[in-house]
Amino acid sequence: MYSDADAAAPHVALADVAIRIGPAPARESYLNIASLIDAVHGSGAQAVHPGYGFLSESAAFARAVEEAGATFVGPPAATQEALGNKLAARRAVADAGVPIVPGLIVPLEAGQVERVSTDDSGPGEVPPGDAALGMAAVGYPAMLKAAAGGGGRGMRRVDSHKELARVMTAARREAAAAFGDGALYLERLISPARHVEVQLLGDQHGALAVLGERECSVQRRHQKLVEETPSPAVTPTIRDALFASARRVAATVDFHNAATVEFLLDAEGNHYFLEMNTRLQVEHGVTELVMGLDIVAWQIRVAAGERLDDSVLGVEPRGHAIEARVYAEDPYRDFQPVGGTVTTWRPPEGPGIRVDGAVQAGRPLTPEYDPLLAKLMVHAADRPAALGRLRRALDECLIGGLQTDLGFHRWLVDDDAFAAGAYDTGLVSERWRGGPALKPDELGLAALAAIAARTEALGTRGMAVSGGRGAAGRRRAGDSAWAQLARDEAVDR
Amino acid sequence: MSDWEARIGDREVSSAAGWTVEWLDRSAGIGRATRGEEALTILVEGSGTEWTVTLRGRRIPVIVRNWRERVLAEADVASAGHAGPVEIRATLPGLVVAIEASDGASVAEGDPLLTIEAMKMQNEVRAPRAGRVASIGVAVGETVAGGQVLLRLE
Repeated sequence: MYSDADAAAPHVALADVAIRIGPAPARESYLNIASLIDAVHGSGAQAVHPGYGFLSESAAFARAVEEAGATFVGPPAATQEALGNKLAARRAVADAGVPIVPGLIVPLEAGQVERVSTDDSGPGEVPPGDAALGMAAVGYPAMLKAAAGGGGRGMRRVDSHKELARVMTAARREAAAAFGDGALYLERLISPARHVEVQLLGDQHGALAVLGERECSVQRRHQKLVEETPSPAVTPTIRDALFASARRVAATVDFHNAATVEFLLDAEGNHYFLEMNTRLQVEHGVTELVMGLDIVAWQIRVAAGERLDDSVLGVEPRGHAIEARVYAEDPYRDFQPVGGTVTTWRPPEGPGIRVDGAVQAGRPLTPEYDPLLAKLMVHAADRPAALGRLRRALDECLIGGLQTDLGFHRWLVDDDAFAAGAYDTGLVSERWRGGPALKPDELGLAALAAIAARTEALGTRGMAVSGGRGAAGRRRAGDSAWAQLARDEAVDR
Repeated sequence: MSDWEARIGDREVSSAAGWTVEWLDRSAGIGRATRGEEALTILVEGSGTEWTVTLRGRRIPVIVRNWRERVLAEADVASAGHAGPVEIRATLPGLVVAIEASDGASVAEGDPLLTIEAMKMQNEVRAPRAGRVASIGVAVGETVAGGQVLLRLE
């Protein structure tokens, strides 16, 4: 299925059958349930895999698919509903004995902020249902979150009551626009914290596999940039506790198919439930690499009623995997999204390297959608080997036409804290800080390469140029047809 | 002295000694830079005087010019006027979701002017310098193209 903006996209070309579902704006295509259901009917599809993003966690969509007589590849609609509201999920999970991040379990009402005391002296007696008083127990700094949000979206840090009052309107507007629900709540800010999540896969017969954890602490704007498994912070004791909590969370709902339970891990190794995502995660690939499993295939198999077998239930992880998300974002300008066209796309190749991408040289990026270009994954026997492989993969990955976050990733693999595995969600803001200044050596190489490119357009093909005074600038004789053409062009200019 | 000058940012940069660049794919601008044991794959794009070298994932804009181009460019800079009105343009296509500035209002450097939603993100456009809002060219709910003038400061 594709929108007009994606008519020439690689996924359309690869599909046996591709159906247009509407114009470029997501609201009229990828978020348009009626149009998607028409496509289900028109194609005779027996099942719908919602992917990630867009309607992948929409209970309304899951229900519409079921009503259309097809199978929704994911947890039941009622389960998505129960977990989609983060506040309801917090209440259910806390009741099951899983630690949650301290904070509100009911929404923050409009107008409450203005009359609330921000005294952090202690929780005191909180009358049931009065979120405003509950806030006093949260204290500042706090995280303001959208009840219908998730995946780090609709979330911001507030350091004072004044700031909270100031950002409420914008936060509500953003939440209402993004999730169709402007309800907000507050959680205590856990800092430093690591973001660790547990992959679950369940069948419709009660079997549940815990497919390891993923470390997702390298983030900007509360959104993940890099994920790895296993987490360098998770000891066997912490792992047992995390997996037990994840199972308990899953048991609060009628669960089957794939889901991820996200936790915060504090400096002492305590974990706190954040949310459960009832869908495939962007970063599922690193789990697939270490487990040797195809999670998407298993999603379809369990949706068809198959049982998980020993290859899943008894699986043991092998080695270490890391994913670097390649975004059309400028890491030197606060990771602002970049528009334009990818002119060159040369992904790395080789053993232990997997690239999931949707890039096509020459096709303009669509500003309507997420700026994720590709996912560069590596797998090796252990973490140091995986880091080395990632370094090489990044060195070989070339993207032309626009700035991407590859420069950040290349810096990251050599960062001391990252290399040591001793990092938290503050890594980007505390250590990257807009990126290092260009070294004289890098400037000099850039100058050499640019001069070489310009002057060689007038010279011979395939020759090497060396740095140093004068060497790059000298025009050399060459009689190839290519050189002749280039010379003619230069004369015309 | 070389005929060619390379400028990065606002300064002249001389070619780094010790590096060698070999083209792997000249037409695509893909090259291999080596220095001793060190090796890098680089990408060079551009034409005329404007080039971009991508090094370890970072794009570095480089102006390459000969003596004649240099003289012309310097004359150009000398004749350019003093800081006059500023046009605030959209850096990428998006949707105007809020306008914080009002027509005729004085703003300080860094004041929020308007909010554009693009790539699922709300981006605040701030005043690059202090001034007065001379005109607002867009309305809330309007889709803007990259490079479109949003607002004028004077």
